[in-house]
Amino acid sequence: MIEEPYRWVEAIANRREYIEHQLAAGSPIVALSFADGILLFALSRERQKIFEIYDRIAMGGIGHPGDIERLRLVAIELCSTEGFARSAHDVSLRRLANFSLSPALKAAFEQVYGAPYLARLLFAELGRGTASNVFLRLDYDGGIHTNGGAFGRSFEQFGVIAGTKVATNHMEEYLRGQELPNLSFKEALLLASKTWAVGHLTLNAEARDDAPDKSAIAADLKEQLAATSVECAVLERGSGLPMTWRSIPDTDARSILEKA
Amino acid sequence: MQPSLPRTANADLAAAPEDFAALLRRHGALAPTASITNVTHPQSTPALIPTEATTILAFKFADGVLVAGDRRATAANMIVYDRADKVLEIDRHSLMAIAGVPATAWEMARVLEHSFQFYRRTQLQEMSLDGKVRALSKLLRDNLGFVLQGVGVVVPIFATYDHEAETPRLYFYDAMGAQFEATDYAATGSGSGAVRAVLHYENTWGGPKRSLRKLKTNDAVLLALRALETAASSDSATGGVDRRTEVFPIVKIINESGITTLSESRLSKIFKSKLA
Repeated sequence: MIEEPYRWVEAIANRREYIEHQLAAGSPIVALSFADGILLFALSRERQKIFEIYDRIAMGGIGHPGDIERLRLVAIELCSTEGFARSAHDVSLRRLANFSLSPALKAAFEQVYGAPYLARLLFAELGRGTASNVFLRLDYDGGIHTNGGAFGRSFEQFGVIAGTKVATNHMEEYLRGQELPNLSFKEALLLASKTWAVGHLTLNAEARDDAPDKSAIAADLKEQLAATSVECAVLERGSGLPMTWRSIPDTDARSILEKA
Repeated sequence: MQPSLPRTANADLAAAPEDFAALLRRHGALAPTASITNVTHPQSTPALIPTEATTILAFKFADGVLVAGDRRATAANMIVYDRADKVLEIDRHSLMAIAGVPATAWEMARVLEHSFQFYRRTQLQEMSLDGKVRALSKLLRDNLGFVLQGVGVVVPIFATYDHEAETPRLYFYDAMGAQFEATDYAATGSGSGAVRAVLHYENTWGGPKRSLRKLKTNDAVLLALRALETAASSDSATGGVDRRTEVFPIVKIINESGITTLSESRLSKIFKSKLA
C-alpha cells in the first residue's frame, strides 16, 4: 500500500499529526544565556525534564518518557565515548545533533512500519572561550532549529521548546524583546520563569491570539509554582573544572521566584 | 544502510547498567582485557622494557589526607622522564596515585574519571564511595593478563573524602585488585620500603605529637618531602627533589572542600627553609 508515493506521503502526514497530538500537552522548557553561562528552566509536575549530557552540554525533553530516556542515554554515550577516545574538546553539540541524532530520528520517523520517537528535545552548549553559546531544538522528524550563526544571522541567546508551535513562537517573541547576555543569575531565573509562563498560557492558543500580558503571566506563575517543582540548572563558566553543570535545588530557586 | 542509534545499555532491560569500560570496549575505544590463560612467562630479558613510575605515598593528617609522588619515570636503568605526574585527579574529591607502568595507569585513571562522570550522568546520582573504590579494583583485575605477561603492572593508591562519615579515606591496592583501607598511611612503588619505615617511625615515635593525624599542613608537607628524599637516597628509580632544576614532587591535599594542589613556590619555600 505505502509503496505508492501518495500513500506514503499520506502515512507520513498522519504520523506527524499523531505525534503532534501526543506532544501538544508538553509543558515548556526554557534555556537562555546569562552573564556566567546558560540557565535552563522548567516547572515540572511528574518527572525530571532537564539533564546533564556532557561537560558543556545539557538537554531538556518533552514527549514519551521512554523515548526521551533512550535519546538521553544515546547522547551521553556518544559524547562520553568521543570525549574518552579523543578529548572533551572534540565533543560538540553540532556534531552530536547533525551527524548522529538527526539522521536516526528521521529514519525512525519515515519508516512507517516502525515506531517513531515521541520526543522533542532542547539542547544547549556552553561556548568555549569567546565562542557563542549554541541552542538547538531537535524534533521527532530529525528537524533541527538552531539559534542562528548560519547564513549571516547573528546568534540568538536563547532556545525554547513547548508542546505546540504557537507556544514556542510566543516564547521566542517574548525573549526577542529582552536584553539577554548580561543578566545576573537572579534576573535570568526570573526572565526564564516568565517566559515559561508565556509558553504555558499559550499552549492551546491560536496563532493569531495576542501574547499574554504582565498580570496574566504573574498570576499563572503563582498558580503553577504552588503545584509543581522548580527545575533549574546552569552550565557555568569559570569554575576551573571541565564540568560546567550545576543543578539548583528547588528550594533555592523557589525562594528567589516567590520573593519577586 | 539506515542510520541508527547505537544500542543503549538499557535497551534490552539489563538488570544492572553497563559499566563505562564495557561500553568503551563495545565501541572499540578500549583494548579488550588480556587473557590470563596461555600466559607465557616473562623471559629473563624481555623484548620490551616498560617505562615505570615509582614512589608514591599518602597519609592522613590534621587537615585531611595528603598524597604525594616523586616525578621520575624509568625503564630498567634509564631515566625516561623527570616531570611525570603520578598523582591524578579523578573527581572533585578523589585522587589516584600510581606506581607502575604509566601507559596502563594513566589509561586506568582516564577510564575511572570518565566512568564516575558517566555513572552520574546516566543514573542521575553520584556513585557511592564503595562503588568508586570497587571500580578501580575491577580495572586492576581486568588488567591481570598483562601483569602476568610482565607488562602493565599498576599498584595504585586511592584517596577520597567520605561525605557521609565526614572523614578522609585512604585505600591501597595490590596488582591483582585487592583493596585495603589504610588507617593512617600507605605507600607503594620501589621506594615504598623506605617511605613506610619513615612514616611508621614518625607515626609511632616521631616529634612531640607522635601521630601523623595531628600534623599541621606545613609539617605534613615537610614530612612528605623528607620521606621521598629518604626513598631517593637509596632507590635510583625514585626522583626525590631535583635541586638543580627545582622540580618538586607533586603534593595534593583532599578534605571536605575538595582537592588542593600545593604550588611549586610553597613547596620551594618549605624545602629551602627546612630541607635544603
